[in-house]
Amino acid sequence: MSNENREAASIGPAISIVGDLTGDEDLIVLGKVEGKIEVPKHSVTVGRSGRVTADIRAKVVHVEGEVKGNLWAAEQIVIRKTATMLGNLTAPRVGLEDGCRFKGSVDMENAIGDKNRAATAPVKGPEPAPQRTPPPPNSGGGTRPEAQPPRP
Amino acid sequence: MGWLFGSRPTTAGPSPAVAAAGVSHRSLALAALLASLKPEARSQVLDLGPPMGGNIEWLSTRGCRVFVVDLFSSLQFETVESRAPENFPRLLERLLPFGPDDRFDAVMSWDVFNYLRPDQVNALMSRVGQCCRPGAQVLSFIATHKEMPATPLRYRIVAPDSLAWEGALTPTRAAPCYRQTDFARIMPTYRVKSSFLLRNGIQEYLFSARG
Repeated sequence: MSNENREAASIGPAISIVGDLTGDEDLIVLGKVEGKIEVPKHSVTVGRSGRVTADIRAKVVHVEGEVKGNLWAAEQIVIRKTATMLGNLTAPRVGLEDGCRFKGSVDMENAIGDKNRAATAPVKGPEPAPQRTPPPPNSGGGTRPEAQPPRP
Repeated sequence: MGWLFGSRPTTAGPSPAVAAAGVSHRSLALAALLASLKPEARSQVLDLGPPMGGNIEWLSTRGCRVFVVDLFSSLQFETVESRAPENFPRLLERLLPFGPDDRFDAVMSWDVFNYLRPDQVNALMSRVGQCCRPGAQVLSFIATHKEMPATPLRYRIVAPDSLAWEGALTPTRAAPCYRQTDFARIMPTYRVKSSFLLRNGIQEYLFSARG
């Protein structure tokens, strides 16, 4: 049976592990882990009840709970909106859902190639007022804006 | 809830008006900032706003390494004492734990200055300036009307010169209405590189760190 057909190993919500975890199958963390997690050929999912204080190396990492540590993924990292993530993310693809709590850096290795992927069509909006630049460097030459309708 | 600037929201609407995603405005300051980030330079960008996956992807596809620190939200969890002028620099050292290799080419502060006292802006930019390369640019949106949303809006890059915003427009609170002359005093190690007044009352600033 191929690894893809096997169920993932699971650390239940009532389990706490202090130490390093390595393996050769997918892993779901619903409990607490302190240490290090390495499953370089498989995925790691930190469920909503998961509390991980560890660096994680995997092929794919999904975070729905809390992680304090750095993540490296060969393919993808996804931080769900329910997640609290404190640490640095390194992967070719990183997804952060709006609403997640995140503090750290994002480094998408090899992500420079497709420059047009994120460039969407321009959206028309309010035109900026005539440019008043360059102003004198911090010379106190600022002008007060004219009264405008209070709409962002 | 502790407000970082002023005391309380001045208007309480029946329910927060949530801006629809996609409401956008042209941003010449953003365009200038992004134009300065060369993909081959592996620029480092500090984002002081809430994590926006689209922005991070947008910047990353242009070769940037992005640091995200949701400053406003982080400060909400801190005590009033720690936000006092004498303690704020120490608080920032904890909230912004930059490493020795962190050298920023650009800082996106969005509208967070509007929610900080002058001494807090000074401390913030002093802290950030320690990790900025000479000439690093800081993008900031300053409210020029007397009232502004009680909490910062969220800005999404939709094009190199276009931003969509979303967030609650009410309740509102008094805006500090910082002027360019204020920044000369508050942020003496930065100069105003360019400034644009939008029709919606937002003054866009692009600051440059002095070498």
